[in-house]
Amino acid sequence: MSVRLVWLCLVLALANAPTAFAQERAYFVTYDHYLEEPGNLEIAVANTIGMPKGDHGAYWAPWLELEYGFTGWWTAEFYLEGVTTRRDGSGLTGWRWENRFRPLKGEHRVNPVFYIEYENINEASRIQKEIVGSGSLSFEPIADLRQEHVHELEVKLILSSALAAWNLSENLIVEKNLSRSEGFEFGYSVGLSRSLGGLASGTSCHVCRENFVAGIEAYGGLGTSKERTLTDTRQFIAPVIAWHVTDRSTLKASTAFGLTDASDRYLVRVGWAYELSGWGRR
Amino acid sequence: MGAPLSARAGAVLVVARAMIGATIIVGVSLPVGFAQVRDRDPSWAAPPEARAKVNPLLDRPEAVAGGGKLFQQRCATCHGDEGRGTLKAPDLTGREVQAQTDGELYWKISTGQTHAGMPAFSFLPEQQRWQLVLHLRGAPSNQH
Repeated sequence: MSVRLVWLCLVLALANAPTAFAQERAYFVTYDHYLEEPGNLEIAVANTIGMPKGDHGAYWAPWLELEYGFTGWWTAEFYLEGVTTRRDGSGLTGWRWENRFRPLKGEHRVNPVFYIEYENINEASRIQKEIVGSGSLSFEPIADLRQEHVHELEVKLILSSALAAWNLSENLIVEKNLSRSEGFEFGYSVGLSRSLGGLASGTSCHVCRENFVAGIEAYGGLGTSKERTLTDTRQFIAPVIAWHVTDRSTLKASTAFGLTDASDRYLVRVGWAYELSGWGRR
Repeated sequence: MGAPLSARAGAVLVVARAMIGATIIVGVSLPVGFAQVRDRDPSWAAPPEARAKVNPLLDRPEAVAGGGKLFQQRCATCHGDEGRGTLKAPDLTGREVQAQTDGELYWKISTGQTHAGMPAFSFLPEQQRWQLVLHLRGAPSNQH
């Protein structure tokens, strides 16, 4: 079967899949308490374009994300990621398997979600979906970094609140490298966002306020269990915006500004997500 | 000891391992997902103060159309295009739902019942949640 035929089949399958309205989260790093709806599959492609300080060249770290709502209280995601640089080479950087569990029924002032992720990646990984520990990125050739495989377990406590029109989310992160005895690495992220819409219009519209969510997120490392200091940690602050281009798809963008010497100067992130419903369910 | 893999072969190996891993995990996980409880929970009832809330859009008939659009975007996948229910979610036009106050419906839309598959829509602006309530009151089978 030719590659063109495979693409055609994929496009037709997506075009005929049942519609599901895209989720609202505008953040790239912070998680809120809204899980994927049961039976919905979200296919997303996103990337982090990093502009480091000093003489280091820019890099582009794309990733593919498949998010599925198994139940109303359990959402799982699978990631495949890579990296490419102008001077230091390119390559796949690994995969991740993430699960989020919402233990409480209904909506509360603060809604907890438990998050656990297994990462089979290498030291060339630069998507920076979370930032933990301390120290800047390593800028050795990608081929060398790819030789250093790591198996990591990451746990997050997600706390999220709906405050009138706003969402406020806080994530506390603990990561353990299972391949080496490095102790535990800590990190955080905090996000605040809101829909720009008020009353929904009665007609279909694309570029109208109700289709936009805007906010800001801050994230960074909090040191390790062996070095309990914030010195040399990477810290970022990033305005974010999400645009529901159609009922099924969302385009997100953000520019993160590095706040410390160890941080990259900027992280520009762009992502596109497509939502399908009724996968694996009647 | 074998010869080192080329970069391309190494990449293919990583993707193949990832796909096999994902397939196994999904295969194990699906039966658990299907086993979720979809029965109605009698304890899912709005508190008195929420029940007493009045829809602030009652005197704004122009807001109904927006409610219809939101319903198609957010609710129709599970409740059906006209809200008459599907295998996944109950009929919203029936007496049991329509007997509830606007405040109760607003509360249920906002809080959801995540363990039974009903998402919380608290991320929608309040006005849009009230628009959904307006639409539920004006759904086709309620107009006679």
